[in-house]
Amino acid sequence: MSHWIITTLKATELSHFMTGSKFMWPLCETLHFVGLTLLIGVVGMLDLRLLGRMRHLSYAAVHSLIPWGIFGFVINLVTGALFFIGAPDQYLDNVAWWYKLAFLAIAGLNVLYFETTQAKRALTIGAGDDTPRAFKVIGAVSIVSWFMVLYWGRMLPFIGTAF
Amino acid sequence: MTDFFAMIENTQFSTWLRESNSIWAYPTVLTLHTIGLGLLVGANATLDLRVMGWGQAIALADLRPLFRWMWIGFWINALSGVVLLAADATTKAAAPMFLIKLGLIALGVVVMTLQKREAFAPAAAVTPGARSLAAVALTIWFVAIAAGRLMAYPGLFFGL
Repeated sequence: MSHWIITTLKATELSHFMTGSKFMWPLCETLHFVGLTLLIGVVGMLDLRLLGRMRHLSYAAVHSLIPWGIFGFVINLVTGALFFIGAPDQYLDNVAWWYKLAFLAIAGLNVLYFETTQAKRALTIGAGDDTPRAFKVIGAVSIVSWFMVLYWGRMLPFIGTAF
Repeated sequence: MTDFFAMIENTQFSTWLRESNSIWAYPTVLTLHTIGLGLLVGANATLDLRVMGWGQAIALADLRPLFRWMWIGFWINALSGVVLLAADATTKAAAPMFLIKLGLIALGVVVMTLQKREAFAPAAAVTPGARSLAAVALTIWFVAIAAGRLMAYPGLFFGL
């Protein structure tokens, strides 16, 4: 299965372009780091609010910047997909990549649960209000899992053989 | 100066950082450097976006705590950066991209200090000056990130 994915992807035009061009890899790496800062900046601030920090801001106010956090995530999803298409073997065979994906899944399910079941309740949190315990847990899970995504991403070249 | 960098590079600590297979050596310091980057540029970008007109429901004065995160990120990276430099002092100190990156960081910190004064001035509305500063800050930090990344590809960008 993983062998089939590797041979199929590596045969594509896009994969050759990613590894053949001198500029694509460094360019996508730079964009991947820029996306990371938007995600950490915007989502991190929302998580702090969920934890009950930066309390002088209403939840709705902090949430209004969220499109930029999503933009950062999309940048990283696209550049990440390009890395994967370029060199699928160095990710599929790398345990760090699987850990990264696992924490990505946790972060994703966490936000999905929050946005589908708690979004309305969250908007009632005004300036100065403390947050319910459930929100604090969700904020903590979010912060920890995003930093774990970063950590395992950074470990890719050191565990296994990714460049 | 070269002698000095060679001396640093040859200390036991630098050799350990460079050659140890331990996950606690180079990889951990590099991870700290990435976390610091995320905090510094992330917090600054959030402020910049607000100053440039997004998220108007946020009162600007309430973003003051972001400066604490910027400085935490800055110091994590100053310290982890010195350690990363020590590991390859002679190569890195002579790399044009490294010097460009250092220059950009110096500029970025100056702009960041100006931003604090400008953004939280008693004026109720965001001034055009503050808006320009935010755009400049965002640009400087993103280019600094590019310079840092390009350090891994010497000579790629116009021979730098």
